[in-house]
Amino acid sequence: MAKIDLDKMLAKVKSTQWALSDIDWDAPGADLITEEQWPKLKAFMADLMWIEHVGARAFAAMAKKAPTDTLRELYSYFHAEEQRHANAEMALMKRWGMLEGDELPEPNINLRLVIEWLDRYSDEMPVYVLGTVVPMLEIALDGALCKFLLDTVDDPVCHQAFEKINDDESRHLGVGFTVMEMQGHGATYIKMVQMAARLMDPRLILGIASYFPLLNKMRDNVVAMGLSEEKLYECMQKFEKIGGRTEDGRRNPWFQIIKFQSRWMVDRNNRFYHTPVDALVKASGYIPRKLLPAVPSWVKELTYKPTA
Amino acid sequence: MTNATSNRKRGKRASAAKAEAQVTPIKSKPSTVLIVGAGFAGLGTAIRLKQAGINNIVILERAGEVGGTWRDNNYPGAACDIPSNLYSFSFDQNPEWSRSFSGSAEILDYIRSMVEKFDLARYIRFNQNVTDLAFDDDYGLWHATTDRGEVFSARAAVMAQGPLSNARFPDIEGIEEYQGHKIHSAAWDHDYDFRGKKVGVVGTGASAIQIIPELVKEAGKLTVFQRTPAWVMPRPDFETPNWQKVLFRKLPVSQSALRKGLYLAHESMALAVIWNSPMTRLAERLGRGHLKRQVKDRWLRRQLTPNYRIGCKRILVSNDYYPALQQPNCKLITWPIVRLSRNGIRTVEGIEHQFDCIVFATGFDVSNSGTPFPVRGSGGRLLSEDWQRGAQAYKSINVAGYPNLFLTFGPNSGPGHNSALVYMESQIDYIVKGVQTILEKNLKALAVRDRAQQTYNDDIQRRLAKTNWNSGCKSWYLTEDGYNATMFPGFATQYARQMAELDLRDYALITA
Repeated sequence: MAKIDLDKMLAKVKSTQWALSDIDWDAPGADLITEEQWPKLKAFMADLMWIEHVGARAFAAMAKKAPTDTLRELYSYFHAEEQRHANAEMALMKRWGMLEGDELPEPNINLRLVIEWLDRYSDEMPVYVLGTVVPMLEIALDGALCKFLLDTVDDPVCHQAFEKINDDESRHLGVGFTVMEMQGHGATYIKMVQMAARLMDPRLILGIASYFPLLNKMRDNVVAMGLSEEKLYECMQKFEKIGGRTEDGRRNPWFQIIKFQSRWMVDRNNRFYHTPVDALVKASGYIPRKLLPAVPSWVKELTYKPTA
Repeated sequence: MTNATSNRKRGKRASAAKAEAQVTPIKSKPSTVLIVGAGFAGLGTAIRLKQAGINNIVILERAGEVGGTWRDNNYPGAACDIPSNLYSFSFDQNPEWSRSFSGSAEILDYIRSMVEKFDLARYIRFNQNVTDLAFDDDYGLWHATTDRGEVFSARAAVMAQGPLSNARFPDIEGIEEYQGHKIHSAAWDHDYDFRGKKVGVVGTGASAIQIIPELVKEAGKLTVFQRTPAWVMPRPDFETPNWQKVLFRKLPVSQSALRKGLYLAHESMALAVIWNSPMTRLAERLGRGHLKRQVKDRWLRRQLTPNYRIGCKRILVSNDYYPALQQPNCKLITWPIVRLSRNGIRTVEGIEHQFDCIVFATGFDVSNSGTPFPVRGSGGRLLSEDWQRGAQAYKSINVAGYPNLFLTFGPNSGPGHNSALVYMESQIDYIVKGVQTILEKNLKALAVRDRAQQTYNDDIQRRLAKTNWNSGCKSWYLTEDGYNATMFPGFATQYARQMAELDLRDYALITA
């Protein structure tokens, strides 16, 4: 895959917009969700929706930091598109009777920690870090989870919505990997030094502490739904394959770090990684929600209603 | 003379233009000066010409009322961003301003009072919308054709139609499809009842931030669509105490002193606004402080924080904009707009925001490279063609190839930090000098030389490159190509100094 012309991509993004009202949320097929599926799907959808929303916030941070006008505008669009995905997923939940009134589904504790971290620190993170973590999140969590969903759910409206969502996501990934390659340019040495300095930043360490358990937690969710965790890992390997397809991409130190992390995660035998991270997942389960500050107001902008 | 030679070369086109003028049925006897527009600039020019003993004036006004921008911009909350004591003419100060920053109705009253006081009504031809302005080289006359088919001629012409006078709906896809009510901020519909309605406001610029605090009081639900957050500064607005009015009435010199003080205070702001200096950082801190004081929610504050250097775009002043956005019936949307639909506005987050009425506070057609009507100069040359690659003029006021034509708020005369009227007065006095020269020397053409214009513009563009306006943000100050034909890169005092002298060495004088 050659590098993408970002100006053309922006034009493409602008010309392929869709709205929730393009989908008939009352069309037949909602009853194809089995009773057995329903509770697990509900938990899964709630997490998925929150992951989209978290991705949206990360793009908002990237828009602030983008080095060019085109990238800034692309990220502003991606921010809104991720929000659209979360809104559409909420609309699906509404269709399947998984929302009580206008209530937002509760985010799991790991997501809650990631939301907190993003709200506090993402705007200060260098675009290098976010530019690599976000494609990883998109592939591993978003892309992979969407695929599982379509394998399991027969509702045609779900397929219709995810066809649109996946089209958007493929553009996000295209830009994501192009940016990673762009970041690979220049003196690797300087980047390594800069990166090492960043790694010392306690805010980033906090971010890592929320991100790693989130991945393991989602793996647990996937397994709970009766899906093969191998498929999740296959998707994560896609990150390694696409991200490392060019010399520039491989030279990006953040790509290397995230690649190793995903390798550790995929290798269940790697106790060195999984024991502490699984412990973190478990530990985070004990964090009393009362201790967490109120959710930031950007969270309240989610809606399942196609019109406002 | 150089222009005479080129005139001969362009002879054919000139006679074509003349022929066009000749077919027009209604012609008036030539006047000395023809002014297009009866706003501040047009009326101010007429007053100063009169004071200089030049009385043969015609003012062509497209509307049926004077006032220009203050006649058109009468939306709720419309007011000036500059203190009234500075946003008024030094030669006609008004001791009666009711507030430090007066509203549009009061400013319009002030303009009307000037018409009466200086007996200007007899010069104004209302409902005469100029459609063509052409110079006749043979007679040294400008001919203005109006939409009523009348032709007005004069030895000198003044373009005072205003740089921001043509309201424009934005080019958003689907704007024609939208079935609800549409209002442009500069053409307010005073008959529309906003009470209880779902209202959208597109834009968060100078007009929008004045409209929103008013609309939020009436509308059932107000949704504000923002593309780029502006720097908003506190507005030191207060009611004028009675003693001050009395003092100004009895001792006009005290008002002049206040005016001078305000002028100098604004001049000092140039250091923050025009160039990147420690003052810029200070101004940004003030702006951020204002935001932090008024907006407690971190995310909303983030959405309202500008991502460009202060001064790069117009700086806004308001005390009630941020509080208005936080009213329970108000919502700020920062998602990009996709299109207008039958019922409202679709944004990228996939939601259609439906409205009874959409208010477009999206600004004006800025003639960076064009002119509001065809302006044909010597030999029939077209100003819009000459300006295709960016507008330029000599000292912002004369253009080579267009003799005896004076522009108010021409290229690179825009103030970013001080009262527009300060700049305008310098222009007006220059025009008076120009017209006096034409009369005293009995000139057919007072024509600025190409080289003088070029030298002036090279200098202006060199100076502009160092300013905040050219620091990377997109604004209406710049053309699509990033060329700045709008702003003057310096203090108002520098502008006044350059306009103080009419240097005839820079002009070709063609006698009648």
